[in-house]
Amino acid sequence: MERITIDPITRLEGHGKIEIFLNEEGNVKNAYLQIPELRGFEQFSIGRPAEEMPRITNRICGVCPEAHHMAATKALDALFDIEPSPVVKKLRELFYSAFYVTDHTVHFYALGGPDFVLGPDSNPAERNILGVIHKVGVDIGIQVIECRKRNHEVIKMLGGRGVHPVAGLPGGWSKSMTKEEREIILDYSQKNIDFALFSLKLFDDIVLANQAYVDLIVSDAFTHKTYYMGTVDDKNLINFYDGLIRVTGPEGAELVKYPSKDYAQHIAERVEPWSYLKFPYLKDVGWKGFVDGVDSGVYCATPLSRFNAADGMATPKAQEHFERFYETLGSKKVDGRFTPVHHRLATHWARLIEMLYAAERMQELANDPEILDPNVRPIATNTPTEGVGSVEAPRGTLTHHYKTDENGILTDVNLIVGTTNNYAPIAMSIKKAAEGLIKGGVVNEGLLNTIEMAFRNYDPCMSCATHSLPGQMPLEVEIKDADGNLIDTQRQYID
Amino acid sequence: MTREYILEAGYLFIMDKKTLIIGLGNPILTDDGVGVKVARELEEQINLEAHPELTITEASAGGLRLMEALLGYERVILIDAFYLNSESTTPGKIHHLSLDDLRSISPTQHSTSAHDTSLITALDTAEELGYQIPGEFSIYAVEVENILEFSETPTPAVAKAIPIVVSQILKEFSFTTH
Repeated sequence: MERITIDPITRLEGHGKIEIFLNEEGNVKNAYLQIPELRGFEQFSIGRPAEEMPRITNRICGVCPEAHHMAATKALDALFDIEPSPVVKKLRELFYSAFYVTDHTVHFYALGGPDFVLGPDSNPAERNILGVIHKVGVDIGIQVIECRKRNHEVIKMLGGRGVHPVAGLPGGWSKSMTKEEREIILDYSQKNIDFALFSLKLFDDIVLANQAYVDLIVSDAFTHKTYYMGTVDDKNLINFYDGLIRVTGPEGAELVKYPSKDYAQHIAERVEPWSYLKFPYLKDVGWKGFVDGVDSGVYCATPLSRFNAADGMATPKAQEHFERFYETLGSKKVDGRFTPVHHRLATHWARLIEMLYAAERMQELANDPEILDPNVRPIATNTPTEGVGSVEAPRGTLTHHYKTDENGILTDVNLIVGTTNNYAPIAMSIKKAAEGLIKGGVVNEGLLNTIEMAFRNYDPCMSCATHSLPGQMPLEVEIKDADGNLIDTQRQYID
Repeated sequence: MTREYILEAGYLFIMDKKTLIIGLGNPILTDDGVGVKVARELEEQINLEAHPELTITEASAGGLRLMEALLGYERVILIDAFYLNSESTTPGKIHHLSLDDLRSISPTQHSTSAHDTSLITALDTAEELGYQIPGEFSIYAVEVENILEFSETPTPAVAKAIPIVVSQILKEFSFTTH
């Protein structure tokens, strides 16, 4: 594979590159996203005490340290074989819900939303949070910042530290909640609910009220019929913190439901010669290539996937919106559950409804009489051996798997991070977007914009641990002919 | 050092501007954490009792989260890794930049970033919303070699730059050391 060469000025952190290969006729044969992978995490971890993992793994990623912290903490529960008490589970879920509200807020207002608020054909220089503010008003920008601020405060309050939380213990949580903290969180969770409802109204007004956008969402260019993964509770309702992992098919039927410790029985990784990325797929179905359909083991793990894999949502307002989501997008109820929605751009809408659910869940948990129970730090006494923990990270199911010796020193570490689940579907979405715009070797205008929209809905996390200067990732697309010669390079940046 | 002198009730008060030293990066990703390591070293060396106006912290966040961490300070000293990954890069080379310099090397205002905006876009956003952003920026950026591999040890050239950046910052701001 030809290595990339980029002008130093544009060389930035976490560089994502898209490669498009054409066939003899000059039409798209394959399209791939290349993401620089961080190396050596396993070697870095081996030999360290396992209980350090919640604090180490939250350094992997500057975007979702909370998700790694939580998956690691749950892996320790399993490793030390200690079941967290109800108050511990509730504190963790409350903390995690605050994280979801803030993370989904950023995506909608700073990343995914601008495509709709400003339009998919708008100037890339304007298609960011600043552009959104110019379009919809300063008040909304202030609300976004305020929302992030109050939820980061909750994360710090409950997690012990602002950006990289430290509260997770095997079977426990290092800090209980005070009455005063509960009052603050109750106030904040109501504000979060109001803000989520406001955001959904904005989505209604800007996106759903615009037929052109609705047509775009349901268009074939942004549709893939794959399997879907998500964590569900005992009623098959979406849960971010805990439950069983459920996988449903393109027609909506449940394929399998399993505890996360069994992940290796159900997920395998496909290695391709042209990429150092490994593509997870469903073992129970098998690998058939980068294709849609019930016979292809490609699955997706995103907000849309969680919707499709579940029967509903556990909080009242979110459930109302969940139903409206499916009804609006033409889904039918079969045997009590909606048939899946395959339109990838609908992920943005699902994300906002998840934000509402997280806000409502915060309120429920803060109101729980048990939440002030001070007994949050049990002593782990069992000899550790092996443990798997998983959560729903905002961008997909996140699994941590540790093995240790009898002293709890790590001997083996495996992580499947959220975005990894989606490597194959992201490649498929990019290919489909490119197919529409490259014919007979001619690259049509708007290629970059369309490709961006295609992959952005997955909210992919690319080497997000690094934030070195200048601190931004441009999109670069390379187009190669049937012989592998580079015929065109397009970059999304402004000189 | 910038100081404001305020005369109140016959007493002269020295009001130092509220200053933040923030080391950026991931301390377990080889060279990526160079900023964090500089900040930790400054924390060791500076006599914080002599500098009540000073906060020293570290962050691995960029964009919006970083911008939010800077709000409320009048002066920011930011230390980060500078990744060029080209033939012409000189690992360990230290760049001293202003905010305008940073603006000029940020190639785009576009949010193609994985999950965040650039610091420049984030600061512009804050200003647009009416927040007071810090008036003074002093940015130290160290050219780095390896930011894709997990290790707590920086590469030799970058390790050598750490004490140099530390002494440059101590000198620039005349911080009192232990």
